[in-house]
Amino acid sequence: MAMAMDFDDFLHLDFSGYSSTTTTTTTGDDYACNWNDWSPVVDWEALSGGQDDFHDLIESMMDDSGLNPNARVANIAHEPCNSVSTETSSSSMAVDEETNGEDFKGLRLVHLLMAAAEALTGVNKSRELAQVILIRLKELVSPNDGSNMERLAAYFTDALQGLLEGAGGVHGNNKHYTSNGPHHRDDHHHTDVLAAFQLLQDMSPYVKFGHFTANQAILEAVANDRRVHIVDYDIMEGIQWASLMQALVSRKDGPPAPHLRITALSRGGSGRRSISTVQETGRRLVAFAASIGQPFSFHQCRLDSDETFKASALKLVRGEALIINCMLHLPHFSYRAPDSIASFLSGAKTLNPRLVTLVEEETGPIGDGGFVSRFMDSLHHYSAVYDSLEAGFPMQSRARALVERVFLGPRISGSLARIYRTCGEEEVYSWGDWLGVVGFKPVNISFANHCQAKLLLGLFNDGYRVEELANNRLVLGWKSRRLLSASVWTSSFDSNL
Amino acid sequence: MFQHHKKPSSMNSHHDRPLCVQGDSGLVLTTDPKPRLRWTVELHERFVDAVTQLGGPDKATPKTIMRVMGVKGLTLYHLKSHLQKFRLGKQPHKEFNDHSIKDGLDLQRNTASSSGVIGRSMNEMQMEVQRRLHEQLEVQRHLQLRIEAQGKYMQSILEKACQTLASGETVTPASFKGTIGNQAVPDVGTMKDFCPPLNFSQFQDLNLYGGDQIDHLQQNMDRQSSLDHGFMQSNDNICLGKKRPSPYNGGSGTGKSPLMWSDDLRLQDLATPPCIGPQDDPFKGDQIQIAPPSNDLDSISDIYETKPVLSGDAVSSEKKFEASSAKLERPSPRRTPISTERMNPAMMNTGGMQQGRNSPYG
Repeated sequence: MAMAMDFDDFLHLDFSGYSSTTTTTTTGDDYACNWNDWSPVVDWEALSGGQDDFHDLIESMMDDSGLNPNARVANIAHEPCNSVSTETSSSSMAVDEETNGEDFKGLRLVHLLMAAAEALTGVNKSRELAQVILIRLKELVSPNDGSNMERLAAYFTDALQGLLEGAGGVHGNNKHYTSNGPHHRDDHHHTDVLAAFQLLQDMSPYVKFGHFTANQAILEAVANDRRVHIVDYDIMEGIQWASLMQALVSRKDGPPAPHLRITALSRGGSGRRSISTVQETGRRLVAFAASIGQPFSFHQCRLDSDETFKASALKLVRGEALIINCMLHLPHFSYRAPDSIASFLSGAKTLNPRLVTLVEEETGPIGDGGFVSRFMDSLHHYSAVYDSLEAGFPMQSRARALVERVFLGPRISGSLARIYRTCGEEEVYSWGDWLGVVGFKPVNISFANHCQAKLLLGLFNDGYRVEELANNRLVLGWKSRRLLSASVWTSSFDSNL
Repeated sequence: MFQHHKKPSSMNSHHDRPLCVQGDSGLVLTTDPKPRLRWTVELHERFVDAVTQLGGPDKATPKTIMRVMGVKGLTLYHLKSHLQKFRLGKQPHKEFNDHSIKDGLDLQRNTASSSGVIGRSMNEMQMEVQRRLHEQLEVQRHLQLRIEAQGKYMQSILEKACQTLASGETVTPASFKGTIGNQAVPDVGTMKDFCPPLNFSQFQDLNLYGGDQIDHLQQNMDRQSSLDHGFMQSNDNICLGKKRPSPYNGGSGTGKSPLMWSDDLRLQDLATPPCIGPQDDPFKGDQIQIAPPSNDLDSISDIYETKPVLSGDAVSSEKKFEASSAKLERPSPRRTPISTERMNPAMMNTGGMQQGRNSPYG
């Protein structure tokens, strides 16, 4: 594709009408936002309070009401600036760039990404422009080296590139994009995946938070039961159940060592599990249960290729406490289509489960719901995740790069592809909202559960925090960004309670 | 000049102390082998006046109080201890963990106000707080066990993968020196890739709940540093050999997790007095700066970067350990200067950490 313009021309394009962060060159043009008026270094520090968190920057950029008085960047984002510059050509800027080059570069990358997103989908969209921006981005980023922002931007750039190429009309046909993205996780070497998973658990509390919060709620709900049946939507390698079994075996109140039955949904067709197959997981769980003396049995429930869940396919036993466990969006999880999830949860409703435990991603405010806002929200989300991983392994950027490559990168691609396809068409809601609407009732998170979550986070890093956003919902966040939500529900008509 | 008007005998009427004598200065001193100053009401009032004049118990110092009170025979020593008691007396719950208590009291306050029960007695509140504390300790204990269980399960996955790899792929001899349970165990394994992560996690768990006394802390620090040393130093790094004899993984996946902490953990030790701050210090100061050697480049074993500065692992895990041992006392996470320091890699040094840490209770 012949470039209609080279990159220098790009500097003078008119993006009026968009609320983009813009800068001017230092030719002294009299624009509303003169970069020289506020050196990025100064503002950056004011913004971040000395922290080099890019997600703070992004957040301030998206802070419409300008609540953050320090977020001058945010204010500028909404001034009608007339030109976009992503290069600095002044000598005075050079000094700043040296001293805070990384921050500046990060900011620049964010601008570029946003511009690319706009070019791809905005009102005045232009594929050529998008292509130009993406080319520029690719020069600046790398998935393996550099700062968090550089690595993150590499995946976003890649994802956008994919959209650009696929945008010639292939919507939803491209299975590659709708499932796990161009870097299909299953393509990774098995040991890579396993190593990445172990690393993920070491450097962050995401997995444990989801599992332990759900498990604690389950333990409390089945305190007096002799038989417990858990239907697990996506068992993966079964690690959640190890700690539940341990807790059941050692529980002091109620009947000791209740019989635990787990039914795992398995999906035929495509998508070989990258960590283990459901059968392997089952074997492993059986062995583990035996090793600690937990009465246990394991079942599989196969889903059709369209992943419709039929409640009738489950074997139920009278008198057992039925638990529905639905982990979604944990960093190492595969994508699951909304239809599949909805089918599962609706089916679950018909079974009147004692408890439904749900863990899902927490999305931020998405403004008008258009692609660019959702894109920026996604950027914010993942930048927080990257920062949190860095806090866990500050020196081991290669370890983090592995986790990013194996888990996060594919998610980013997949998620952007979905947003692209569906933005404006689909309503964005959380599965928790959905459960509430469908008729499940919230179950309070206990003091012990909340306490456990706080303790858990305390083992990792002070940047993590847990909030109780509703009586039945704990949300794990990094700094000011909420990332993962764990909620607990019960069916409305439960004679067992 | 302070005039003491009471007779010694009347002073003794409600105390079981030996005789008191009134000294020349008017101070009442006991006659037991260690002469103790009796803080009479008047003396105490005088003391309080002086303290108030000086701006309160936190601003006043024994020296200045002494000057203001102008009482002969009153020594710095007397004033020091009395001032301390006075300060403590102003915060009745100081002997408990500040944060937990604060949480508990907050909880209590919120509960009380939200349910409209305002007139609860101090006693009830204290009991409620105690109850919460106990619950927190229980939660801590359970959390530890659960993390352990998960770790053990994870291990079984990794070992299985090892076996698969060992049978199917070329094996890379590696050596690993792991130190868990105070033994350094050299080992030869056949598996690449997984040991650093595995060790790190278990090592993390290890440090979580490892210590409650200084010896333990020290012990764990040794373990920690040698573990660091271990997996940082091994060249091809890793190894999760199935035949590993160390108690670390209890043999080839049969077994009992070596990290069976429950027996070791003593609940009462968890509730160590709030001097965990100073206890942390020997740690930080001694944080071993390990220079990991450079690894070969092309395998996942290089995940852990080698940098000749303070090892991030050590720091972050030390932090975790500190955090966890400190967190044993203070379940509520602290989001104080540390986070600032953490995010800036340039500041990852013990100096920085110490600074953050010197504000003990958040």
